[in-house]
Amino acid sequence: MEALILEIGTRGLHRYAPIEGETTTIGRALDNDIILSDPAVAAHHLKIIRGEDSLQVVNLAEVNPTQVEQRDLDLLLDQGKPLNLQLGHTRAQLLRRNSKVAQTRPLVGNSSGNRLFGNSIWTALLVTTVLIFGALEFYLNAYTSFNWSDLFKYVLRETVLSLGAFLIALSVLERLLVNRWEVRQLLTSICLVYLLYYLLNIGSDGMVYLVSASWPSTVTLLAWYLGILPGAVTLYLIHISHLKRKQSLLLALMIAGPIALPALLQNGELKALLDDFSTVARYQNSLSVSNWHLSSTISIEDFINNAGKLDQGEFAD
Amino acid sequence: MLPRILAAGLLFALTAQPATALGSKKIYELNQERVFQIRVLNRETGEKSSIGSGFIVGDGSQVATNYHVIGQIIQEPELFYISYTSSDGGEGELELLGLDVARDLALLGASEVIGTATKMSDLPPRGAPIYAMGNPLDLGLSIAVGTNGGILNQTDDSRILFSGSLNPGMSGGPTFNENGEVIGINVATARNDISFIVPSRFLRELIERAVRQPLDSDIDLKAEVSKQLLAYESGYIDQLLEADWPSVDLRKFRLPGVISPTVRCWDNSAKLGAIVLYKRYQIRCANKNHVYLDDANKFVGKLVYDYFWIETEELNPIQFYNLYEKFNKDQIESKLDRDVVSNYNCKTWFIKVSSQEMKSNLCRREYVEYEGMSDVLFTAALTGHARQGFFITLIMTGVDFKSTLPLIQKFLEHAEWKP
Repeated sequence: MEALILEIGTRGLHRYAPIEGETTTIGRALDNDIILSDPAVAAHHLKIIRGEDSLQVVNLAEVNPTQVEQRDLDLLLDQGKPLNLQLGHTRAQLLRRNSKVAQTRPLVGNSSGNRLFGNSIWTALLVTTVLIFGALEFYLNAYTSFNWSDLFKYVLRETVLSLGAFLIALSVLERLLVNRWEVRQLLTSICLVYLLYYLLNIGSDGMVYLVSASWPSTVTLLAWYLGILPGAVTLYLIHISHLKRKQSLLLALMIAGPIALPALLQNGELKALLDDFSTVARYQNSLSVSNWHLSSTISIEDFINNAGKLDQGEFAD
Repeated sequence: MLPRILAAGLLFALTAQPATALGSKKIYELNQERVFQIRVLNRETGEKSSIGSGFIVGDGSQVATNYHVIGQIIQEPELFYISYTSSDGGEGELELLGLDVARDLALLGASEVIGTATKMSDLPPRGAPIYAMGNPLDLGLSIAVGTNGGILNQTDDSRILFSGSLNPGMSGGPTFNENGEVIGINVATARNDISFIVPSRFLRELIERAVRQPLDSDIDLKAEVSKQLLAYESGYIDQLLEADWPSVDLRKFRLPGVISPTVRCWDNSAKLGAIVLYKRYQIRCANKNHVYLDDANKFVGKLVYDYFWIETEELNPIQFYNLYEKFNKDQIESKLDRDVVSNYNCKTWFIKVSSQEMKSNLCRREYVEYEGMSDVLFTAALTGHARQGFFITLIMTGVDFKSTLPLIQKFLEHAEWKP
C-alpha cells in the first residue's frame, strides 16, 4: 500500500495529514479522520479508500461537491499523484510521502547574499541615510527661508510618514500572504528602494541636461515603474518571503501597479503618447549648475540659420 | 480801438464755430435710416446667430460694419448669410465686398441702393464730443454720447479712444462728429466708458480697395483672412526691425526696451519679504495689437517679451539652480483646441549671446485653417553662473514663422552683457 499524505493549503505554511488507514474520511464533522474547519466543507465531504494497488476517492458532499483537477468528482479516480483537490474553499494535494521536496531556503541573514537584510545595524544605517536624503531634499528646495523646525516637520511628513505608511501596508500584506512578520527585512528593502529612486532621479536629471532632451527622464520613469520597482518586489517575495517565482511576479505587479499607474499617467511625455494633442509647448527647460552638455554652443547667426529649418508642429487627428 | 478788437474777436469766434453743430438728437434723426442692425442668419433655421450694426457708405448700396460682426460667414459661408434690418422695418440680404481683418472692418453690398451714404470726415480735436450709433443688445437703435480721446498709438494707430459707452450689438455702427459726419466705426469696449473706434480713413481705404479689386465670389475667405493677417504682421515686424530700439538695463544685461509705440512695459518683479534668500526682477512688455481672427481663435497679433533676472548670495549653487529651473518655464497663454492649432514643435540650442552662453528653445505651432499662420515661442536662459540666472521669453501669435526669426536675431544681438 502506497504511503500518502494530504497537503492542506492554508495561509502561510501548509498543514499535512498522513493518509494511513484503509479508509480516510475528510469533512467538518468531528468524527472524520481529517477535520477541515471550512464552513464551505460538508460534515462528511470526501472519503479516500486505499487498496493494495489502487486508490478510490469518493465524494460525499451534496453542497459544494469535491473537485479533482478542477472537475466535479463523481465517483472515484486514480489519476496518479499529486492529485489536486478542492474541498469547499480549501485546496489540498494528495502526495506520495516519498515525493521530493525543494531545496531548503536559507533564513534571511544567514547566506552571504542577503546579510544586509538580516542585520539591524545595516537597517538602522539605511534608515538614517534615507532620513538624511529627505533632509537634503528639503534643504536644496528651501529657497525662501530655512529653519530647523521646518526641516524636522518636512522630514517627518515626507520621509518618516511615507516610510512608515509603506512599512505598515506592506507588513500587513506580508502577514496576510505568508503569515509572518518580517519588519526589519521589509524596512531594509523599502530604504534601499527609496535610495535607488533618489539616485536614479539625480542621474536622470543630469542626463536630461547633458543630451538636451527629455527622453532620459521618460526612460527612467518607465524603467522604474515597469521594471525596477516590480523587479525589487519580486526579488523580495522570492528571497525574503520565499514565495514561488510566478506567484511573486504576479503579486509584485499587483503591488506596484497602483503606484505606477497614476505616476505614469501624470508624465507629460507619456501623456503625449496617449493623447496626440497638447496645448503646452514642451520645451527643454532643465538647467544644471554643472552645465555639462553634449551640444556645442553656436553663434546667433548659426542659430537663426538652424532655426529656419524647424519643422511645423504636427496636427492632431 | 479796444471795443473794435473785441467785436472782431467775437465775430471770429462765432464764425469759427462749426456751421452745423448738430447735437445728438439731430444726428440721430438724420441718420436713423442710414444705420442698420446687421444680422448673420442661419440658412437652415432662419434665426440670427450674431448681431451688430452697420451703416450706408460709398454709392448707397454699400454697408460698413466690423469683421467680427460677420465673422461666421468666413467660417461657414454655406450655412450663414448676412442681412440688414433698418429702423423702419426694411430688410434685405447683403454680400461680402471686402475685408480689412487687421482693422476689424468689413464692407458689405446690397443688390440695389438702399439709402443715402453717410459722409466721412477726419478725427475732430481731442476732447470734442462724438456720437456713436448702433443697436445695443438687440434693443433698438440708440446713440451714445462721449468725447474723442485721440488715436491710440499703442494699437498701431488703428483705434480711437472714445470716452463713451459702447455695448454689445453696437459694433460696426458709425461714430459721428458734431457735424454728423462719420469719423470712425464702433469696434470694442473696455467697459466703464472706455470704448474704441476704428478711424474712418481705414474704411475709406477699404472702400477704394473693394472698388478697385472686388472679392471674387468663389474666393477662399479663410485664405484671404490668412493673407491679410500675415501681410499685416509682416509689416508690423518690418517696422520693429527698422526702428532704433531703446535699451533697458536689468542687472548685468542691457536689453531691448520699448521697441515700438505699440508696446508697453511693466515691472513684474516679485514683492519679496525679508526672509527670502534670493532676489528676482522681471520686466514684462506686451503690445496691444489684438487682432480678431474668429470665434475659436479669438485674437492674434500678440507680441510679448519678458526678461527675468534672479540672483542670490545666500543660496548654494545647487539650491539656486533648483529654484532657477522652476522659474524657467512659460507657455503661450491661449489654450486653443486641436481643431484650431497643431501641437508645438520645439528644439533646443546653446547660443553665445554677448560673450555669455544661453540655453535657448524655439517652439512653433500652426493654425489648422489659416495656412502659413503660426504661434512662436522663444526662450533663452543664461547658463554657467553659480548664483545668477536670467532668461528671455518672446511670444508672437498669428505670424509667419520665418518672419519672426530676424526679430529674434535682433533681440539677441541687442542683448549686451555688462560684467
